[in-house]
Amino acid sequence: MNRGQLERLLRLVARTEEDELSCSACFDLLPHYVDLEVAGEAPDARIPLLRPHLEQCAVCREEYETLRELARLEAEGRLSSTDDLGRTL
Amino acid sequence: MGAGKPGRSNAEWIAALQSSGADQAAALAELRAYLLRAALFTLRRVRHHVSHLGPGELSQLAEDCAQEAMTAVLQRLPHFRGDSRFTTWAYAFAVNIALVAARRERWARVPLERVLESGASPAALPGDEGVPSDPERSALRAEAIAAIRDGIEQHLTPKQQQALRAVIFEQVPLDELARLWGSNRNALYKLLHDARRKLKSHLAARGFKVEEILDLFVGGG
Repeated sequence: MNRGQLERLLRLVARTEEDELSCSACFDLLPHYVDLEVAGEAPDARIPLLRPHLEQCAVCREEYETLRELARLEAEGRLSSTDDLGRTL
Repeated sequence: MGAGKPGRSNAEWIAALQSSGADQAAALAELRAYLLRAALFTLRRVRHHVSHLGPGELSQLAEDCAQEAMTAVLQRLPHFRGDSRFTTWAYAFAVNIALVAARRERWARVPLERVLESGASPAALPGDEGVPSDPERSALRAEAIAAIRDGIEQHLTPKQQQALRAVIFEQVPLDELARLWGSNRNALYKLLHDARRKLKSHLAARGFKVEEILDLFVGGG
């Protein structure tokens, strides 16, 4: 174990709660959380258990970041078209 | 596709998808276009993970992900509660499926069994190498390391030790470890959550707050 791995472990252990959401529960709540965030509302006040799960779970966090960016660009009318996305793959 | 134009309301989406004939066909085609766009967007974001695939293969992967997402959305349609926009809810399926596929592509050539076996052993915790010596701090670090090592070796099951090594140390995605073990993401998350709780309790019983240990290693000398 190197220093970076030790730090990662300790940060996760430090934030560990007795009750944490499952990945499935996170998936179910994520669209609402993202819509609130994109609308400039306070998602953590409405869905307080989601952020702690995102801090613990790298795969759910990656999905959240992608969905948030997608929803944000769409709301701003800046999401590339399917053709453009396909061309720039 | 309808994105960018005034879209359907949630109720209009549900009604059209549950109708029949031309209305349903149009809604299905529109939904599929949304899902394909989300899959393409997702794969482009993680292009570096799938850099071994050519544009044609990536396009096909996006099509496959959109199709799989379409099936999932239609299966789960009765469970849509309307808390979010329908399109955000549908996008979540495409994003999830595309990221799982990209992770699978990325890790396909990595022998995970070897990662599990050869990952850093808990016995090899970092010491004070390269850190300016402060005898008191060094002694505290050694004590903390011993407590962490004991917590991992004596209080975690072999499965928890392997999961911790793979997911936290080597950053193997939960999906990939779940696939290797014939398990699922929820079960592995719970396995790791239990492991973290055990470690936290063990360190507290040994008189350590985790934040204090972090400060010993991350804070200045």
